[in-house]
Amino acid sequence: MIELEGAPLFTLEFGDILVYFTPYTASLFLLALLFTAIVVLSRPERQVEILFGTDACYAKDTSIEELRFRRFMSIACGLATMGAMVSGDVFDYTLFTALVGVTNVGIVAAVKSRHVQNAAFQYGIVALAGTLPLFGGAAIVVASTGTLSILRLAGGTAPGAPLLAKALLTLGVMGEGMAPFYAAKAEMFRAPGAPYVIMCSLSSLLIFLRVIEVVLVI
Amino acid sequence: MVSEYALGLGIALLCAVLVFAALSREWDDLHRLLLVDLVEIPSLAIVALVGTDLAEALILPGLVVGIAEMLALSQIYLLKEGLQERPEGRLRIEVIEKADAPVILSLVLVCYGIVLSGFTGGGIAALGMIFLFMAKGAREPHELLETAAGISWAVWIGAFFVFMFAPQYWLLAVLAAGFGILIKVMVKLSLVGGMWGKPHD
Repeated sequence: MIELEGAPLFTLEFGDILVYFTPYTASLFLLALLFTAIVVLSRPERQVEILFGTDACYAKDTSIEELRFRRFMSIACGLATMGAMVSGDVFDYTLFTALVGVTNVGIVAAVKSRHVQNAAFQYGIVALAGTLPLFGGAAIVVASTGTLSILRLAGGTAPGAPLLAKALLTLGVMGEGMAPFYAAKAEMFRAPGAPYVIMCSLSSLLIFLRVIEVVLVI
Repeated sequence: MVSEYALGLGIALLCAVLVFAALSREWDDLHRLLLVDLVEIPSLAIVALVGTDLAEALILPGLVVGIAEMLALSQIYLLKEGLQERPEGRLRIEVIEKADAPVILSLVLVCYGIVLSGFTGGGIAALGMIFLFMAKGAREPHELLETAAGISWAVWIGAFFVFMFAPQYWLLAVLAAGFGILIKVMVKLSLVGGMWGKPHD
């Protein structure tokens, strides 16, 4: 634990449910916080499309109603990401990760474009299917070690989690966030409104970075 | 000898593999949505296999997140298929619309729900309210119900903070949590199926 991410700076414990900051998770948390602040403050981009073969171009406008909903979803996504960064037990981490999956779908689903909605639906199917390995992994961790606390699992006071649980956790996060597999999300990025869509990528990247840490220490 | 847990886990994982195989062969979007709902069941089974108090506490949030994703996906499906028509089917039975019986039945259910309190009580009281709304064909006051749900949810969470930080007032916290969850479940369930179309139209 200490070699990998440094000693915990702060710990708040309620039995198995706990919150802790290490230099690693604190920096991830700050990144999520910073980007959420950017989402709150910034205005959406106006995507410009050029008609092929002509010199005509037009800018897409985001309506106020759509903007409000997507901004709300992005802020919710940021909060869920921050929760996933600070939660110190495996189950809360998986719950926040599942929440990131739902809000990611929500960010793009408000766009009035059939292509984008289709992609959001397919991605939602993957995210929902991803909850099985995600919660399954967390449940196998608690069944085989008797605790959910990452600190106790990392400290060596509890037996190590089985490889199956780690594999399932990683698979689940891949389903929810799809951080390294952008090809599946490509159609979603046709949605205009830059800071909101980037939130999808950032949140998936952060939950993926965190799951690497979790799987290595437990 | 294989332990019961390993056996159960093996069966649950086998079910999961079967569902995923079906999901990979299915191309109709609506059927995939239904199959994905089936995926949730083995995942709840794996959590339930832990078989402790903790597992019981873990199932509920897992279930809630699953249902939330399911509702969001169904809404996206409606949007992308352009299914916007609101069904206007109501119970057109004169005896139910004119008589007092639905009111009395609903009152009994709501009172029984309040006596039970907690999740179960909320569910039963909500049944009474849904029956009344359906029978009388009344439009529910959405904004009022949402506000009530929000406040009772805050009471419920507040009760948990009392448990954590001032455990000597546990009786007050139990009462507040039971009351809060009763109102919240009742209101949320009675809104099911009622919230269509644009918000606050």
